[in-house]
Amino acid sequence: MPSQGGKKFTREEELLLQDFSRNMSTKSSALFYGNALIVAALPAWVFWRIHQLDITQTQTIVLFAAVTILSTWLVAFAYRNVKFSLRHKIAQKREDAVSKEVIRKLTDAEQKKMSRKEKDERILWKKNEVADHEATTFSIFYNNTLFILIVLVASFLILHSFDANVNYALSILGGAGLLALLSTGSK
Amino acid sequence: MFVKMKVLSVLSVLLLVGLASSQDGARLLAAKNLLNEYLVEGKDVSVLYSIYNVGSSTAHNVALTDETFPEADFKVIQGKLSVQWERIAPGSNVTHSVILQPLKSQFFNFTSATVTYLPLEDAEEKSTYTSAPGEKGIVTLKEFDRRFSPHYMDWAVFAVMTIPPIGVPFLLWFMSKRKYESIVTGKGKKH
Repeated sequence: MPSQGGKKFTREEELLLQDFSRNMSTKSSALFYGNALIVAALPAWVFWRIHQLDITQTQTIVLFAAVTILSTWLVAFAYRNVKFSLRHKIAQKREDAVSKEVIRKLTDAEQKKMSRKEKDERILWKKNEVADHEATTFSIFYNNTLFILIVLVASFLILHSFDANVNYALSILGGAGLLALLSTGSK
Repeated sequence: MFVKMKVLSVLSVLLLVGLASSQDGARLLAAKNLLNEYLVEGKDVSVLYSIYNVGSSTAHNVALTDETFPEADFKVIQGKLSVQWERIAPGSNVTHSVILQPLKSQFFNFTSATVTYLPLEDAEEKSTYTSAPGEKGIVTLKEFDRRFSPHYMDWAVFAVMTIPPIGVPFLLWFMSKRKYESIVTGKGKKH
């Protein structure tokens, strides 16, 4: 929180810090968990139709629920890590373009009225927003693709001869685990 | 091929038995084989009957009757379940085949067909049984497709389902990237 030790950060400082912070809004948290849930549940189709996972058994339904919850958490963890490692880089890359866009959008009257500080703040805010958006979408795209690829390779090439239930649990959890592990590495 | 070899090996053992008692006239050995590896509900199954005369004289009035396929379970597609040969010379063999379609998926016990014949022209009628293929499972067409079909439809559905979670974030990211990169290059051109 910014109000620690009686000292308050200025708005600009707060905006600058946001670039590095790991705090997430509820909205983006929900977006991550929603996406992770979809992508974690999706491969069940392949296991049901092609690996002949018997979805009518209670045991399989329980397994499906447990595996989906756990892998949703792992995938969301990977989304977050990749997003934060990308956000600062993207922010730096987009700096020029964003400032140009913000200034272009201001009317002449606004240009004259606004102080330089105000303009900088507005650019900083917009830059954070753009970086956040790009990092979020790219992280979801990258992790979803990687997850589905790992699951398909694991289930068809590595664990193909295993029992469908074992194959399902190992490929999904293995895929999500590997994803989470890869996301913690700094590039 | 495998079936033939199996039959021949059984035959060679029985041949000795047959030779020992060959003085009594014709002696028939019969085999019944299912030629399909998988028995599938609604798909053709070929049944092959082979009759060997291992006796010393010709067998007369040979009749093969198979009453082990109930109408409720099997439909005859081609051939007859009851056939006759006037004679089978010693040392020769005849074969007969029938194509059937199982109507239900179940475990079915394939038992022996009967063969009746006269060992000598004026002798009393003798009867024998063919070999029995035994109990086999008839799988449903759906199960057979699941195991052996290439699942084109299932893969297509999966592909359609994976497009949104991969395509949507990619498009959103790509649109933003293009927008801001074009601003930078646009600026570069003006200067």
